[in-house]
Amino acid sequence: MRWGYFPGCSAGDDAKDYDLSLRYVTRALGIDLVEIKDWVCCGGLSGSSASHLYSITLPLFNLFLAERQGFERIVVPCPICLSRFKKVHLEWAQAPSLQEKLKAVFDAPYQGKANVYHPVEVFLELGLERIRERRRRSLSGLKIACYYGCFLTRPPELCSFDRSENPQSLDLILRQLGAETVDWSLKTQCCGNFVGFSRSDIVQKLGNDLLKEAKEAGANALAVACPHCQTNLDSRQEQIKRVYQVRYDLPILHLTQWMGLAFGALPEEVGIERLLTSPREVLGARGLI
Amino acid sequence: MRMEASNENRDLSQELQGMTGENVTLCDLCQKCTLVCPTAYAMGMKPHELMGSIQRGELEEIYWSGAIWLCISCEACNTCCPKGINVLRLIEGLREMAQRFDYYNPEAATASMHRIFLNLVERWGKAYLLPLIVWTHLTMLAPFKDIELMSPLLLKRRIKLIPRKQQGAKKLRQILSRIQALEREEGAKRE
Repeated sequence: MRWGYFPGCSAGDDAKDYDLSLRYVTRALGIDLVEIKDWVCCGGLSGSSASHLYSITLPLFNLFLAERQGFERIVVPCPICLSRFKKVHLEWAQAPSLQEKLKAVFDAPYQGKANVYHPVEVFLELGLERIRERRRRSLSGLKIACYYGCFLTRPPELCSFDRSENPQSLDLILRQLGAETVDWSLKTQCCGNFVGFSRSDIVQKLGNDLLKEAKEAGANALAVACPHCQTNLDSRQEQIKRVYQVRYDLPILHLTQWMGLAFGALPEEVGIERLLTSPREVLGARGLI
Repeated sequence: MRMEASNENRDLSQELQGMTGENVTLCDLCQKCTLVCPTAYAMGMKPHELMGSIQRGELEEIYWSGAIWLCISCEACNTCCPKGINVLRLIEGLREMAQRFDYYNPEAATASMHRIFLNLVERWGKAYLLPLIVWTHLTMLAPFKDIELMSPLLLKRRIKLIPRKQQGAKKLRQILSRIQALEREEGAKRE
């Protein structure tokens, strides 16, 4: 099956581990990811501070490119990009004046044929059965806290594959692979990544809240579906240790890294060596690395 | 609380409604947004207070509190607002509007971070962590802030030293200049 692929700034460069593991898992499941040619940043959460039109042009331009290249189904691994795409697509569909405006800007009309999907959505569509069949190793003995973050399930009207309160999709997938997933209350609380460069005190506090809650629920690792959550929670644990005097040592793995390991991938095939909070103890004890 | 709208007050809610389509006068300050907001604890003006301030047209207080820059766009407030108000959209409107004024901003570093992000995008076609972080810290006159965060990220090759330009960057700049021309045209028409 051939799908368009919009890596975004994060998986496209800095979060290579996410890109690697996503490609590994999709290949194993028989999905062919083809990167959209000449894609550019979606503007993230910053576009709107320039102007509203600016913030909707960037995502629409990418959808336009994808459509011109013949992709109607596009995998978007970053929930920020994903939510920007879904929102602007809806706005575009409801505003004929905007359609006219952008036709002039892009030199050609966008037809609205491009649909975006998060990898989790793709996995659910393929079916849990297929994921279970592909399992070569069990994740049994692991207690994983699934962290969904803000944009995967919000706003609820744009998330068709899960609910925004106590979502279950990541839990379902990981349980198929033999892991135990814990119930915890901060699954969808934001980790604050974006404000972290200027206000590290805020991300340290939010990170501490999340990690504390996960640890208290009995988790020995986290699974995330967003490259920003991963970088943030993984890299801030040292700072949190210094500020709050607590050591969590919770490895933060992408959902696709967990899946890759269960599918039999070597650690370097899914970028395990790039993790900052060492997963050696948790994974090594279970023969996963 | 002074809820009576003077002319100036009506202007702010109306102007924001024109920009965003959101009707802030529907809000009866139930505080749900504040209860679910993960960064409200750090805001001088909590989300529901912000809504009240918009209703009362207190532009100066709003910008002086810096609250709109501490919002992390997580949509928790939007998801629970009983009146269905898109609080985030209003905050985005206020951020866009901020460019017209010259109020003191206690969260200037966050505001510059957004601008730096867009500068990178316009130049390279995508945003890169290393220049984004370093540049933001330079505007704060604290170049070595978070150094203990940066070094392992670099060592583990989690952030790239040298950016690779996206081929689409040039086309992107062309499109953005067309957008800006359109906006200037529309602005001139309104006046």
